[in-house]
Amino acid sequence: MTAAALEISGLAKTFGDKVAVDHVDLTVPQGSFYGLVGQNGAGKTTTLSMAVGLLRPDGGAARIFGADVWSDPARAKQLVGVLPDGLAMPERLTGREVLTYLGLLRGLSKEVVAERAEELLSVLELRDAEKTLVIEYSTGMRKKIGLATALLHAPRLLVLDEPFEAVDPVSAATIKMILRGFVARGGSIVLSSHVMALVEQLCDHVGVIDKGRVAAAGPLDEVRGAATLEDRFVELVGADSTGAKGLSWL
Amino acid sequence: MAVAVTLVRMKIAILRHSTTGQRGGMMASGGVLGLLLAAGTIYLAFQEGDWLAAAYAGWMLGWIIGPVFSGGGDETLRPEFFALLGLPARRLAAGLLVSAFVGVAPVISLVALAGLVFAAAPGNVLVAVPAMVLQLAIFVLLSKVAVGLLGIALRSRVGAVGAGLVNGAVLAFLGQAWVFAVAFGQGGRIPSFVRYLPSGWGLLAVQGDYLALLAMAVLIVLLLAAWAALLAGRTGASRPSTRGRRPMRAATAQEAVVAKELRTWSRDLVRTHQLTFALAYGVFFAGAPLALGWTGMLPWAAPVFIVMAAAMTANLYGIDGTALWLTLMTPGASDMRGRQRAWLVTVGPVAVLLAVAFTLVADGPWPLILASVAALLGGAAGLVPLISVYALVPGTDPQRRGGNPLRTSEDDGALTGLAYLTMLLVALSGAPAVVAALLYGWWGVAAGLATGALCYWGLGLLAERRLAAQGPELLHMMRTGRRPEGGGRSVKLPDLPKPQRTIVMTCLSLGAIPLFPQGIVAAAFLANGRVRMSWFLATYMPPGLRWPTAALMILIGLTMYGVGLWIPYRAKKRAKPVDGPAEARPAGTPSARTDPAVYD
Repeated sequence: MTAAALEISGLAKTFGDKVAVDHVDLTVPQGSFYGLVGQNGAGKTTTLSMAVGLLRPDGGAARIFGADVWSDPARAKQLVGVLPDGLAMPERLTGREVLTYLGLLRGLSKEVVAERAEELLSVLELRDAEKTLVIEYSTGMRKKIGLATALLHAPRLLVLDEPFEAVDPVSAATIKMILRGFVARGGSIVLSSHVMALVEQLCDHVGVIDKGRVAAAGPLDEVRGAATLEDRFVELVGADSTGAKGLSWL
Repeated sequence: MAVAVTLVRMKIAILRHSTTGQRGGMMASGGVLGLLLAAGTIYLAFQEGDWLAAAYAGWMLGWIIGPVFSGGGDETLRPEFFALLGLPARRLAAGLLVSAFVGVAPVISLVALAGLVFAAAPGNVLVAVPAMVLQLAIFVLLSKVAVGLLGIALRSRVGAVGAGLVNGAVLAFLGQAWVFAVAFGQGGRIPSFVRYLPSGWGLLAVQGDYLALLAMAVLIVLLLAAWAALLAGRTGASRPSTRGRRPMRAATAQEAVVAKELRTWSRDLVRTHQLTFALAYGVFFAGAPLALGWTGMLPWAAPVFIVMAAAMTANLYGIDGTALWLTLMTPGASDMRGRQRAWLVTVGPVAVLLAVAFTLVADGPWPLILASVAALLGGAAGLVPLISVYALVPGTDPQRRGGNPLRTSEDDGALTGLAYLTMLLVALSGAPAVVAALLYGWWGVAAGLATGALCYWGLGLLAERRLAAQGPELLHMMRTGRRPEGGGRSVKLPDLPKPQRTIVMTCLSLGAIPLFPQGIVAAAFLANGRVRMSWFLATYMPPGLRWPTAALMILIGLTMYGVGLWIPYRAKKRAKPVDGPAEARPAGTPSARTDPAVYD
């Protein structure tokens, strides 16, 4: 049986009067590199939070390799590594301490944790910051340590919310290399972004979210057709022209 | 003045948005309490002696010390907001000062200062007006400068410890002011130096000493300059830590949580400050009567320290902010038990050491102190995590805390409330052991160990369950930084049929009567051999029936509480057969919990 790496069906979330996510269905096939694009506030973060069990949906379900995130959280969370956007870490720990303790919390043995932490720190170029607390990390370093915690327990699916936001080009190149390697070895990735070029460059599948709904989803070439992803996106989302007028005093 | 006017308008706009809902209620009740205090102060203006001067000294101390408890004082407009505008520090300080007069606390203080009008010497009533304004400016500025200095202190470990010591000592001495009143040997008179404190200068002025007005103006200029200097240094200061790190020894999941917590305790200067403060408060509070040569209170330093430490740390999860997501992603890692152990390891040894040392000095009472320490430690280690998940105050993520390191949350009123609630509950958790120790001596220690262990285990279990069931909701609250509208969904009664509702209300509201006065208190009278006491039924009974009556009353009380809690619990369980939203519930059904309307 080949269950999808991530299957989202009918997820919905309302905050007060605002419908943030309106019955979203998405299927991320195993081995795919899936890009979720949308404007700010389109509902990407809310959808991904609900998909991995960080936000309780009003309705709908999310399954990771067939394991329901809400009724079988232990198994589902074992299979997924998550990099949320803008959430805190245990800030007063060094990178190595974060990885060591989280690995132990995941039930890994002390030796395995030490090995993996060492390898992650050196691949992600965080070894120089051996004695720096996470609270003193730069934005790029924070993303990298977040990615390291997501990879630590050898998940089969990565869910990354804006992994390249505010990351310098050098760090971005490292992260891209690691993600490509992960997919090449059979892993599946979902990442959200509003940078179309990046999604086109990395992903083989894409989902377009607009105002809490799926505007289009499927293999990249099917979704964008003959145009670029950016053109197709603007067409789907319906650009409004107020921004094109320019500023009156400049 | 343009800067000042703009800042005032900004502040009014912000205040207007916060006068609704829970915060509005908190503001209103704080305002009423403040007005009562102000009225009391004005009343003192008609009394002989220096009472008014003493009251103003109290107000001044309140302005200085208050921010330590309410998370850094009024920070509606923060200096950091304006850092990029390129305003000269002094103009910004002046603008912020003017805007600092807009708010509930300054208005109330001004009302209290109206006492100057009544205390004015004949013909000096007009002097009272400038005196009031200058005096208020001194209060506000002292508060700002104190927060600024504390902010600098909290950038280093030594500073955090020092600030904790000073704050704890000052507050403890305030609480024990009677000791010093007696020690000064003035029996009911205020020592005369009080009138010469800056808080008394307004009073001096209206009593004819016009030089005091000038002195106030000079002090204001000095404070303003000091504050401006502090503001300039405040934005964007950070301190790289280059200390060596301890080697890691943890090998299991729970050890990992304990180690993670212990490292955070020792590295987060806010937490260092909290604990030093609690320690200093306990030691100085219990030590103050030594001024009278009385050692009887000294051994109580340890219990006071434990209660205060619990109160300061009750927002255990809130202080970590959204880092909660990692706990949610690793189910089954027993985060709660680890945190309990870490809390105990942090507070316990110090408390025990304090208890033993001071009880030795005072030569007893051993059973009482040991019983209360055991019970309070266990009670606090159970209550702190429980309170932190049931009454979570959303914290500011540590990496986003502003230039004011005392401020760990946007909702400082709620933090203060949480501290008082914790103090009360933790103190109550020690009560059974204290009663047992008073009645039966050393058995009390056994009782303390038993109730302590029970609280640690039982309350920890409740907290763990709550975290497992409501984790995503807690994270959501932390993310949006606000509590759900209407707050406290967990304590709200579910919809019940009317007869059941009546039963629940009756049981909960009247259960206390059989349990406490007719049961426990009556039993206490019986134990002391006192009979025919006012309305305590058991004491009127024939000898053989007295104890059974009291026991029956306790049983009735407990049953009433049991029924009162069980009916809603059962109804709640029925209302949501599954814990997850496996399928969408139709909107509008009583059990459909709408998510908080707080999405920004």
